Amino acid sequence: MRNFLILSAMAVAATLAPSHAAHAQEGTKPGAPPDLSGVWLVEKFQPRLFPSGGAPFTPWAEAKFKATDLQTNDPNLACLPMGVPRFMIAVPYPMEILQMPTRIVIIHEGPQVMRQVYMNRQHPKDLDPSYSGDAIGKWEGDTLVVDTIGFNDKTWLDGGGLPHSEALHVVERIRRVDHDTLVDDITVEDPMAYTKPLTNRQVYKLKAGWEIQEYVCEENNKYSYQAK
Amino acid sequence: MRTPTRKGMLAFSATAILSLLSLAGSAYAHHGFVSWFDMSRSITVKGTVTSFDWTNPHSYIYFDVKDDKGAVQKWSAELGAVAMLARAGWRKDTLKPGDEITLIGNPAKDAKPLMHLDKIVLANGQELATAL
Repeated sequence: MRNFLILSAMAVAATLAPSHAAHAQEGTKPGAPPDLSGVWLVEKFQPRLFPSGGAPFTPWAEAKFKATDLQTNDPNLACLPMGVPRFMIAVPYPMEILQMPTRIVIIHEGPQVMRQVYMNRQHPKDLDPSYSGDAIGKWEGDTLVVDTIGFNDKTWLDGGGLPHSEALHVVERIRRVDHDTLVDDITVEDPMAYTKPLTNRQVYKLKAGWEIQEYVCEENNKYSYQAK
Repeated sequence: MRTPTRKGMLAFSATAILSLLSLAGSAYAHHGFVSWFDMSRSITVKGTVTSFDWTNPHSYIYFDVKDDKGAVQKWSAELGAVAMLARAGWRKDTLKPGDEITLIGNPAKDAKPLMHLDKIVLANGQELATAL
């Protein structure tokens, strides 16, 4: 089903948007939003938001963190969606941004999850919690500001096991600082889990000529705790 | 950087050489490989391919390693996903049973005959890394 959704999104975007990196920026009209289209890869793989520890946990989150085990209960082991911001920071596989005026779609090769950023609406009321949440976006100058809420609490914030609640709120400021470089400044707020906002910057490099490939996590996964 | 133990060196002394190389890159594994493998140590293992899984989320090389007495130990090496390996020059037929190979990577923390692969040297001397 996920693959079907991704293929559908790619087909729609291909017909509506100039999605190739070669068209990026050079073809942007004055006053028009920048073109973020292209295949991007994290410049430096940093799976942990706090590699040396020191996350500002609330007691609730600290207890949950102590129960995490990278070898037994990482949702990623079971090929479950990574959620946000893990989707954006802790995946050493490329992502493609497909840009349309009313929607921006991010397809990640690794998780094979499509993230949709709606540019023409607000968050719906009474969101049903989901892995990727509900993302809306707006342009502030050359910066795409993405606001995401409506998460379930089944994902980790990073590859190190940082927990979160359904109150998770992620704001990302994404901008193309030069033709080959994309920067995402991420702010994570979750007052149930953290005593102050968490911030992180991810840098991505354009991978000209790359295409997103198939990645079937369930194919030969020897780590799934769900299978045990 | 952690110093390899003498005990570990003796375990496969004929064919596996522990070194103190500090490793960079090699990040293209899907699951939390840092929790299974000792990324601070590098080992070099010579063996004979028995099979090659060209699969997601990981590819695997299965190979036989002979110790200095001729006893065979069954090893496996974990690689990353197919697409990233292909971008690094790998193909599904890069390896076939019987190929003599040298593997460089990280040992399993639990001393099982399993490694996380960084680089391979094929019988013809060609080197292939698992990361770009």
